[in-house]
Amino acid sequence: MSIIADEKTRVVMIGGVAGVSAAKRMGEFCHLVQKPFYVDAFVYPPDAGKTADIPVGGLIVPVPIYKSLEDATNNHPGLNTALIYIGPARAAQAALECMDNPKIHSISMITEGVPERDAKLLIKKAKDTGKSLNGPSAIGIMSAGKCRLGVIGGEYNNLILSKLYRPGSFGVLTKSGGLSNEIMWIISQFADGISTAIGIGGDAYPVSDFATYLEMFEKDQETKAVVIVGEMGGNLEEAAAEWYAAKPRRVKLIAIVAGFCQEALPKGMKFGHAGAKEGAHGEGSARSKAEALKKAGAVVPETFGAMGPAIKKVYENLQAVGQAVKVEDTHPADLPQLPKRVEESVKAGEIMVEPLIKSTISDDRGDEPLYCGYPASELINEGYDISHVIGLLWNKKLVTPKEAEAIRRILILSADHGPCVSGAFGTIMAACAGINLPQAVAAGMMMIGPRFGGAVTDAATYFDYGMRNFPNDINGFLAHMKKEVGPVPGIGHRVKSLKNPDKRVKELISYVRSANLSVPHLEYALKVEAVTTTKKDNLILNVDGCMGCILLDLGFPTESLNGFFVLARTIGLIGHYVDQKRNNGRLIRIFNYLVNYAVTPKRKVPPLNK
Amino acid sequence: MAKLLEGPAMGLFQKWGMRTPHHLVISNVEQLDTLAFANQWMKGAKMVAKAHEALGGRFKLGLVKINLDLDGVKKASKEILDRTVEGTKMSQVIVAEMIEHTEEYYLAVKSVRDGAEILMANVGGIEIESNWDKIVRTTVAVGEKARTTALEECAKKAGFTGDLAKKIVAYAHSLFDCYDNEDGQYIEINPLVVDKKSGELVALDAVTMLDGDARFRHSDWNFNFAADFGRAFTPAEKEIMEIDSKVKGSVKLTEIPGGEIALLPAGGGASVFYSDAVVKLGGSIANYAEYSGDPPGWAVQALTERVCSLGGIKHIIVGGAIANFTDVKVTFQGIISGFRNAKAEGKLDKIKIWVRRGGPNEAIGLAAMRELKNEGFNIEVFDRYTPLTDIVNMALNK
Repeated sequence: MSIIADEKTRVVMIGGVAGVSAAKRMGEFCHLVQKPFYVDAFVYPPDAGKTADIPVGGLIVPVPIYKSLEDATNNHPGLNTALIYIGPARAAQAALECMDNPKIHSISMITEGVPERDAKLLIKKAKDTGKSLNGPSAIGIMSAGKCRLGVIGGEYNNLILSKLYRPGSFGVLTKSGGLSNEIMWIISQFADGISTAIGIGGDAYPVSDFATYLEMFEKDQETKAVVIVGEMGGNLEEAAAEWYAAKPRRVKLIAIVAGFCQEALPKGMKFGHAGAKEGAHGEGSARSKAEALKKAGAVVPETFGAMGPAIKKVYENLQAVGQAVKVEDTHPADLPQLPKRVEESVKAGEIMVEPLIKSTISDDRGDEPLYCGYPASELINEGYDISHVIGLLWNKKLVTPKEAEAIRRILILSADHGPCVSGAFGTIMAACAGINLPQAVAAGMMMIGPRFGGAVTDAATYFDYGMRNFPNDINGFLAHMKKEVGPVPGIGHRVKSLKNPDKRVKELISYVRSANLSVPHLEYALKVEAVTTTKKDNLILNVDGCMGCILLDLGFPTESLNGFFVLARTIGLIGHYVDQKRNNGRLIRIFNYLVNYAVTPKRKVPPLNK
Repeated sequence: MAKLLEGPAMGLFQKWGMRTPHHLVISNVEQLDTLAFANQWMKGAKMVAKAHEALGGRFKLGLVKINLDLDGVKKASKEILDRTVEGTKMSQVIVAEMIEHTEEYYLAVKSVRDGAEILMANVGGIEIESNWDKIVRTTVAVGEKARTTALEECAKKAGFTGDLAKKIVAYAHSLFDCYDNEDGQYIEINPLVVDKKSGELVALDAVTMLDGDARFRHSDWNFNFAADFGRAFTPAEKEIMEIDSKVKGSVKLTEIPGGEIALLPAGGGASVFYSDAVVKLGGSIANYAEYSGDPPGWAVQALTERVCSLGGIKHIIVGGAIANFTDVKVTFQGIISGFRNAKAEGKLDKIKIWVRRGGPNEAIGLAAMRELKNEGFNIEVFDRYTPLTDIVNMALNK
């Protein structure tokens, strides 16, 4: 047996994130003891209609979330226990609702910081309704091998170490959550483990007191002894002593009270628990509590360190009179293990996962991204700029200052070319149609291809071909191109010509020359231009061809070359999007007079042959 | 519990219809001229000026000056505001009219598990200490109001008669309303006197404790709570309180100057057992501290740095039970960062650190702590197999 929580317990969790975390711990417990999951419902209005997905062993159990407690109990008639995880401003109201619900008999209130006035109202309500309310500020209730309410018991491995997978003979009552865990551990080491452990909370007025639970333990035949960890403040330890002394009791009582240090410390000092405070005139001191318990016949060790041996002695006495039978422990290896996450198994070298993708340029597994191994913040602090990042991520190379400057100039010159070109017009139409930035910019981006902005890679590829196969034979190269490809990509412009040269091309050439960069591809392309312009005035080296050759000369892979135009022009396209939004540009519909309707005149639709 | 200074406490009393002396709180002497012009009661009144700080024994410290006219108030206020007591600069003075009276009474209300107790005596002031048996009590059940018949009975038993008894009963009603509506925990008026001029009851002095946890439903609580152990909060304590009010979980610190054993334990319960262990073994505590409820690492780091900065300490006890949900790895990372910073500032040169802990990620957290040995820290690390407070015995060599 056990008290409050057992195999019949069916739980509704009241609260959001904190409740879900606790439910996960409860799921772990169910896996350990190999019993069905007993959290049936959540009440949390913001997420009503959804489910909270709780892992139990290797399975995920979807637990429905309801708007109200009534909805939950109507849909799950087996519910009998509520755990309250909502904030202090609403927790008391929720507890009152629980006590008014005919299905719910036991409530555990985990919420901390509940005003004392509210706690006192709950004490009265619990008394009036005859319901059991544990808390507030209570860590939870653990009935070993049967039921865990809340996170009491801590992580999975501790459940195993403290033998919480099977019942023992000791009941536990503590104000402190951490110490409930510590005492369960001590009892597992010095005796046969616990039956039920209850953290009643460290507030000034825990709704259920030690004496109430002692009475329940007294009736629970499985519990042979009870350990109380009390502390200064209030009078619950005194009431427990009074209960123990009132008549001969079946259960043995072991107790310890924290707070003797108060005698040596400033009066009125605050400790961690709200209730850990002597009265204004010394009422509720640790010494008076310990004396009362000792006088009532409880075993009261001098220090916390002496708890283990004291518990052991009580256990041995119980064994001597045949009260406690030795329980065989399961070897931890024979207990169910918590399923590991894939990351953990990989780390432990237990499984090998075939990687889905391979990356050689960038790594964000640490505190910050590494670009080819260089931390982004260090690049910034050393004065590197976006050209270097492009060099690293596109070519895995830290470019020289002169190369960086060439890249910077290429980006500046290609950033925009007015609203009339295909890309900008695409973005403007999209922006005026009211769609969002990424989609509008993508609309412009989709225009990039052989006729607009997308010739950089092609131009560089063919000039490279020419340089390797026709190094000293420009006419041979042009003949080859005419026969196999068509017009030479990178040569020719719709409006610019020898007389009206493209300033961008001039600018780039003059920079790479003044910087003494070695640009064999560019030199080759200029030789080609010298020949083509003799044929026609506008067959000049255009900006695509110029960029492509320079970038190839800087060592960038041909796959990356169109990227420079894409990157640079993105700046312009975003500009056009923002511009249209700011101008509140109207929806664009072109006029009929801009369309040559070379269509078939209106005619009759023939009947459909089925 | 959270204590109120006199100024805000008197404000609450007046809100619930209890008379208090006319008063005002100033933070510089120049304010007095404009205030005297606006406050008629100050004209020709006899006044008292007191340091408006959470200090015990202000009278003995010379921080209370009585029988003053306006010029006297100015002189006394300047004197008080110029002083620094126990490391705290006096920042405010409360100026109140002196109430001429002959007898002093006692009236209090106290929260108890089943409701509240109202306490009354027809002696007050310092005499109450030797007349504790003269206090008469009546209880009010949870959710109920104070009953007039019970209060009348109480007043009668306490020895109040006639008109005075009626006034005491009315005053007790107001006191209870104040307690009940303001989430009071303990309000003790001592002394309560009859003003010779008006014949009305006036609360001359009071201890007012409210429930800090109820602040969320009192939008008019525009005051900070004061330390209630006879001194003002230190800058380090204020800093930790500030952090505590912002984070999930809690971090707490109280400094106790002169101690040799610094405490940095986890958990509201275990921390008290660590304090007990030090005291029991004859050690002297340099502080009380505690972190719990899975606080973020940076909050624990700040607490660690404050603990390492305590003067004259020889040991730091990083104790803790087996946590339920506080992540040992995360909180220990905070402590380790704090230790490293303190060490870099030379604060840990002669200090030995003792660690004992269990809970989620305990193996990783304890291993990281052990690593500090390689960085030259004087540190001993123990796990769950060493009983909770044994590190205190080891530190004190007992």
